[in-house]
Amino acid sequence: MENNQNMPARPSNYMVLAILSTIFCCIPTGVASIIYASKVNEMYARGEYAEAERASKNAKMWGLIGVGSSLLIWIVYFAIFGFALIGGLANGNY
Amino acid sequence: MAITKKPYILITILGVLSALAILLYFSFNPERGLLFPKCPFNQVLGIHCAGCGSQRAIHDLLHFRIIDAISHNVLLLPAFFIVSQHFLTKNGILKGTSILHYRYAPAIILLIIVLFMVLRNIPGYPFEYLAP
Repeated sequence: MENNQNMPARPSNYMVLAILSTIFCCIPTGVASIIYASKVNEMYARGEYAEAERASKNAKMWGLIGVGSSLLIWIVYFAIFGFALIGGLANGNY
Repeated sequence: MAITKKPYILITILGVLSALAILLYFSFNPERGLLFPKCPFNQVLGIHCAGCGSQRAIHDLLHFRIIDAISHNVLLLPAFFIVSQHFLTKNGILKGTSILHYRYAPAIILLIIVLFMVLRNIPGYPFEYLAP
């Protein structure tokens, strides 16, 4: 930490998005997002702030793709099976 | 440090969605019925991914069945703690830095996830406990 004054703000590594998408949906987007997240931390620690910023953008993109597609899968799935299930619930068997 | 205006609408929507999700996962057991989507990765490739079993684990957790939750997905609880610690430290409620800001945290998490995914697909005695 030789130049504390000139250190720009740490770019977000979007690890929370990455973890959420890994747990709830898609391991490929989750892993891509985590790889970029680790790049963010690594580049920031090395002082390559522009690189860190770029990795942060990629991490965000993959994180959002992951969370977005898990929401989409959920909604489509619920639209297909949910109504059938509610019908079943009304008849007392689910 | 400037206080940025938070997107309250987004936070409200997320809050309502989470409340609905919690209610849903509390009321219904994902093990039975068709309400909850199956893991697409598992459906296509036939192997357990690192997130498989997390829906059942959430249901177990909401009923305070910690052991069952762990048996369905070992990593869900640690993930929950890491995300909570991150938000608490980020918003200044808890002192210290977020675990996720440590230089090698994402790399270590990635390693754990990949290792977990490989191990839980190995059939046989010690590994079958890791399967969902």
